[in-house]
Amino acid sequence: MKQAGNKNTVFSLKSRLKRFKRDNNRWSALTLAIVVFLALPILFIGVELFAGPGETWSHIVEYLLPDYIWNSFFLIVFCSLLVLVFGVSSAWLVSRFDFPMRKALEWLLILPLAIPSYIVGYAYAGIFDYGGSLALLMEAVNLDFVRIDIMNRAGLAFVLSISLFPYVYVSARAFFLNQANNLLEASNMLGVGERKTFFKLMLPLARPAIVAGLVLVLMEVLNDYGAAKYYGVNTFTTGIFRSWFSLEEPETAVYLSALLIVIIFSLILIEKWQVRKVKFSSAKTNNQQIQRKVPKKSQKWLIFAVVFIPVLLGFVLPILQLIYWAFLTASKVFNMDFLWVSLQSFGISIVSALITVFFALLLIYFSKWSALRLIKNVARVGVLGYAIPGAVIAIGIMIPTLALDKWLIKVLGNMGIETGLIINGTLIALFYAYAVRFLAVAYNPIESTALKVDNSIPDSSKVLGVGNLKTFFKIEFPLIKTGIFSAVILVFIDVMKELPLTLILKPYHIDTLAVRAYEYASDEMVMEAAIPSLFIIFTAMIPVIFLNKLLIKK
Amino acid sequence: MLKIDSLSKSYDKGKNYALQDVSFELKSGDVCAIVGESGSGKTTLVRLIAGLERPDEGSISLSGKVLSSVDQFTQPEKRKIGLVFQEYALFPHLTVLENILYGIAKQKDKKERAQEMLDLVGLSEMGGRYPHQLSGGQQQRVALARALAPNPSLLILDEPFSNLDTMLRTQLRSQVFEIIEKTGVTVLFVTHDTQDALSVADEILILQNGKVVQKDAASNLYVKPNNLYVASLFGNTVRINKDLQNAFHCPLNEECCHAIRNEKIKVNPDELTTDCDYITTAEVIKKIALGDAVQLVLKLETGEKLTVTTRDKNIADTINIGFNSKDILEFNE
Amino acid sequence: MRKIFVLTTALAVFASCGNKEEETTTENVETTEKAQVVNVYTHRHYEPDQKIFKMFEDETGIEVKVINASADELIQKMKMEGEQSPADVLITVDAGRLHRAKEQGLLQRIESNVLENNIPSHLQDVDNHWFGLTKRARIIAYAKDRVQPEDLTTYEDLVTEKWDDKILVRSSSNIYNQSLMASIIANDGEDIAKKWAAGMVENMARSPKGSDRDQVKAVVAGEGDLAIVNSYYIGKMLNSADPEEVKVAKEIGLFFPNQDGRGTHINVSGAGVAKYAPNKENAIRFIEFLISEEAQKIFTDANYEYPVLESVAPTADIKAWGDFKEDTLNLTKLGENNKKAVLLFDEAGWK
Repeated sequence: MKQAGNKNTVFSLKSRLKRFKRDNNRWSALTLAIVVFLALPILFIGVELFAGPGETWSHIVEYLLPDYIWNSFFLIVFCSLLVLVFGVSSAWLVSRFDFPMRKALEWLLILPLAIPSYIVGYAYAGIFDYGGSLALLMEAVNLDFVRIDIMNRAGLAFVLSISLFPYVYVSARAFFLNQANNLLEASNMLGVGERKTFFKLMLPLARPAIVAGLVLVLMEVLNDYGAAKYYGVNTFTTGIFRSWFSLEEPETAVYLSALLIVIIFSLILIEKWQVRKVKFSSAKTNNQQIQRKVPKKSQKWLIFAVVFIPVLLGFVLPILQLIYWAFLTASKVFNMDFLWVSLQSFGISIVSALITVFFALLLIYFSKWSALRLIKNVARVGVLGYAIPGAVIAIGIMIPTLALDKWLIKVLGNMGIETGLIINGTLIALFYAYAVRFLAVAYNPIESTALKVDNSIPDSSKVLGVGNLKTFFKIEFPLIKTGIFSAVILVFIDVMKELPLTLILKPYHIDTLAVRAYEYASDEMVMEAAIPSLFIIFTAMIPVIFLNKLLIKK
Repeated sequence: MLKIDSLSKSYDKGKNYALQDVSFELKSGDVCAIVGESGSGKTTLVRLIAGLERPDEGSISLSGKVLSSVDQFTQPEKRKIGLVFQEYALFPHLTVLENILYGIAKQKDKKERAQEMLDLVGLSEMGGRYPHQLSGGQQQRVALARALAPNPSLLILDEPFSNLDTMLRTQLRSQVFEIIEKTGVTVLFVTHDTQDALSVADEILILQNGKVVQKDAASNLYVKPNNLYVASLFGNTVRINKDLQNAFHCPLNEECCHAIRNEKIKVNPDELTTDCDYITTAEVIKKIALGDAVQLVLKLETGEKLTVTTRDKNIADTINIGFNSKDILEFNE
Repeated sequence: MRKIFVLTTALAVFASCGNKEEETTTENVETTEKAQVVNVYTHRHYEPDQKIFKMFEDETGIEVKVINASADELIQKMKMEGEQSPADVLITVDAGRLHRAKEQGLLQRIESNVLENNIPSHLQDVDNHWFGLTKRARIIAYAKDRVQPEDLTTYEDLVTEKWDDKILVRSSSNIYNQSLMASIIANDGEDIAKKWAAGMVENMARSPKGSDRDQVKAVVAGEGDLAIVNSYYIGKMLNSADPEEVKVAKEIGLFFPNQDGRGTHINVSGAGVAKYAPNKENAIRFIEFLISEEAQKIFTDANYEYPVLESVAPTADIKAWGDFKEDTLNLTKLGENNKKAVLLFDEAGWK
């Protein structure tokens, strides 16, 4: 018997090359093309890295970096804690128990996502301000005003957590609702108490879902610029802006971005690692929903209170503050032009959401169809944009698109056609930037629903003689529809709220609500920013409710 | 018809092999079972043949056409292989009929063919239902009908009965293979259960740690297993090590490995005198009633423990046991 | 519901596409000489500005196209667009950024008697690359009940012990603070400036945060006694929609520092013509219009800035604070010293 399979021949360069030739299909090439396309802005920033940091790098390391690291660390830890407490507890309680107004609370809990965190920041500053709402309220009931200072690191952690916890809530609840039923029943049968079931069974099982949501939250936390700046907390992102603009050293800003990317990369790796470690086979045919328990009367209201607190803090209070401001400024801000801006905002958001989801689908499925294992890993590079501050992406997009534009101008000029910039300063560049920035937002929900579809399903289709594309449209698409819709909605909301990138890349005469709100707020007209903020919130709310319907139906 | 030639597959660049140097052939119309415990490479082999994985070395050809090799690869959709998954993998959003129609959408007489398949698997009236409205056994038969509909030249069943309970399993097994017999298709049947394999297969291929340890007719495997692992798959077998040799006073060739099936160890005094070459005494330390038989846990003089089964109800505390030299299995290992 | 969804989407896309086409065509036209358009990159996102632009359009028939973003971003944008940049005019809210744009070769020298003769010389670039349009003073707001105005003298005096734990000021990333620091570097030298920054950090009532308005509120709330603020924010607070803000603004006293010496530090919001301006003539006309009496009047009446034109009186609210002596240091110095200022802030630990 021939003893083959020894490493030397099977994994020699020659046979590897042979197999590479065999496995290198068009999907591999297409995946690579998409990844390069999406990573191009980041690559251009990366190239800058080789130019070395600017001369103030040592200054930054000496005076600022410790502060950036400490603050970012503080925010990561405290936001994680708060977000987990708010997100997981509410997700579990609404999935497990029936209590007064549960249905309403279920979707109210998602709504904080509709408010940009910097606006929540402004609202809370307004509430706790001297002469702010809280003070007025206290005065009205003849109480002494005890001023709570929220504009500090802890306050920032609170504001970011309360506006971002729904990311964890949504993914944890989806797990509890769709996958936990059998296990829960088993645990109950074993006579394990409610509390123990939750901590010993549900929490460990839901961990991958929870951590996936948490990573999204932390990326947003690290990317936050508006709230951190307003609250006077120096983080990596404020540092990037500072070194880029105040110190006039883009090279240094790029270095800080790179450091930030390293942090975020490690977070992603931790997520991947822990998901792999806790990988359990998902229940295949078990899509039964949890049977909710009806608690005792006294408990009912306690549960209601626990679930209502995050809604109150993350949505009701900021909204009330904004509505109050809106009343004060309505006559000044509200006009036809404003309605036109709202419509533009809506259109831009929906189109870029569709484009982004399209790219996410291409990336997920092309890499899946590629037979090269390498490509499957490369595909994840395409989602990096989410880890990079919007302003940095904008600059990264300007570099290649301007080069392309200049080339086009030359070529067309030679042909006797005079043009201006074709890509830069038009919607094309803006959509491109949104796709780069928000690909991960679309990628994750689609990927996680795609993972729920057992591989044997598309495999069966192929064995039955149906090719990749047709399999996608006939089998996979219908099965992951929910994920795709969620993705569209999530990107839509993010684009509605997006600011720095839009500021830099938006074309003439195009305005978005976020830009409007920022313009007011940056000129210390926070009150005037209330109406555009409210419009963002209400436009974003419609799809959020829609998203919730989808989840419940599932 | 199906020819597998020195097939190897590693998922970690050669550190471990899921499948190593596997070669065998299947004749047209054969029903061959692949048996091995989980992790032995059965699923990898199936996926390689179906074209869902690509080999690192070796080749797979069907009817003389190379499907997979180091430099060639035919897409799964072009292979004309039918595959029934362990979890059936029915398309949940399509009805039973639509599921069956799926693979034959381009055929002219697809409607008739689909109904024919439904009739074949005895689900004539179920075409309009959705998979989740069917029982496990029914789903299984739909999966079979779907796989058979395009008239594949090879049908692979990957652990088709492992999700079913024992009663249903036996019943369904005979039903499924009746259906298969009617179609006359070549079958590769993957299972970890030797009962499944023995009851339906013409030939059985044993996989261990990614390697083929034996491929033989069912009866031969029992009589002449290639190693202790194969022997154990078909009933409890105990290795005759030095201690046992001493206990039974049967010095054996040291170059080989020897074993005896527990069921070949005799307890009955009549048999002991007429049919045994080697005898020893043993202390009975435990009796377990098994309906019409009794299982005995014995302790030999040398301290070895042995388990034997007998129909004798009257067992003393110390008994004689023995076996015939022709029952000794000998392997080169 | 889905229909509405699709409809509005289609509408919005159509609208934006329409805009895009219009843009490329106008960009086509821009290169020809008869273009009646001026492209403005501005950091000023104030409502009154829109009114002024409209007036300019009505008067000249030149269409004003605006890109609003922070000056830093606009400068980056212009740099990258290079020769293809459609920008004609760059407007910022401080001289430092204009200086930076000039240094990076983004602006060009322009000849305009209107601008040169009407704008005080220290408020314009020595090489005529940019011109100040409006002024803001960096002043001290104090709690009337706790601070005697006689105790206040200069910026430099703020680091003395008597103000320990009493000063409120925003972050050093704020350009107005950077400019103030730059002026101190220019006037007193780097060493004194460095000590000044350290002394200020020492005397701060709290770690820097919030906006200028927040500093003023904090004074009234009793967190500190003094706040360093930009004059025009006080004007805005006095006219705020929020009655609480008006109350706060009325409660504090205002002090213009360094009146016995070089004068109070001022900064300008200013404009320059882009190096590759496709519509240079229109751009000059546009800037000239911004210092016309009618435009200057709007700047001060609606946005509470000090006009650069001497013939226009400041609006009543800020006129009430009285005349003051302003630091006539050429504002170019602010730009030159800006980076130094930021570095010194960091070293002093001014967040």
